[in-house]
Amino acid sequence: MQRREFFKKLGTATAVAAVIPAMSFADSASKPTGPNKMDFKTAVETITGGKKPIKSDKVHLKAPEIAENGAVVPVTVTVDSPMTDSNYVKAIHILNGKNSNARCIDVFLTPANGKAMFSTRVKLSGTQDVTALVELSDGTFLIASQNVKVTIGGCG
Amino acid sequence: MAEERKSLIKIKPKRYKDGEIVKVSFMVMHPMATGMGKDKKTKKIIPAKYINSVKFVYNGKEITHMTVWESLSVNPVFTTYMKINGKGKLTVTYTDNTGEMHEKSKKIKPRG
Repeated sequence: MQRREFFKKLGTATAVAAVIPAMSFADSASKPTGPNKMDFKTAVETITGGKKPIKSDKVHLKAPEIAENGAVVPVTVTVDSPMTDSNYVKAIHILNGKNSNARCIDVFLTPANGKAMFSTRVKLSGTQDVTALVELSDGTFLIASQNVKVTIGGCG
Repeated sequence: MAEERKSLIKIKPKRYKDGEIVKVSFMVMHPMATGMGKDKKTKKIIPAKYINSVKFVYNGKEITHMTVWESLSVNPVFTTYMKINGKGKLTVTYTDNTGEMHEKSKKIKPRG
């Protein structure tokens, strides 16, 4: 009974209230405090250190084309990779192009994951591109994006 | 300091063998407030309170860690895969930007 209750509660979205201009960006890469502010282009450059990411169909980004509720948008990133010690996905970064902080989550994987995949639910302030920026163990970056139309914004 | 938060680790499939790659999810009831929201009644800004880092540790070895920014949804879910490599324990820990810490463990019991 308790378990069922728990899952019911998880499924219910609670949208965040009205948007206020974001406060200054806090420079803490591993444990953010904030709110933070960073545009998409700067976020990509920060993550890749200036390297140009390559558009790749090895990166499978799954997100709805139309999201009814911008507060709870499911996003799944899967990358074709053998996930061996010499060839694996080091990180999956999810970026939301038009949110005031384009950075959403940085997931650092290891061969012990077996498969390169990460799935979660994100808040989108409005219609925008969701991007998966992937770092491979050989240092290259792959990228894939998808536009998500948001009918009710995730920030109220 | 850590409030008692309801959380859950789910492994799919429930029965697995050694060497199998299973789906693992960690879910927790947490407000994930961005710090940009306003309380509708008081009109005051709701301070930022969101999970900012998560770690998955399997039999003492860290297999995944995450840096989390403020745009994950309320009551967040973190799903990835894990290769079963012996009996033991999976422990997921997180911290949030206010210093709250939480830990949840699940026994790993491969069959065959």
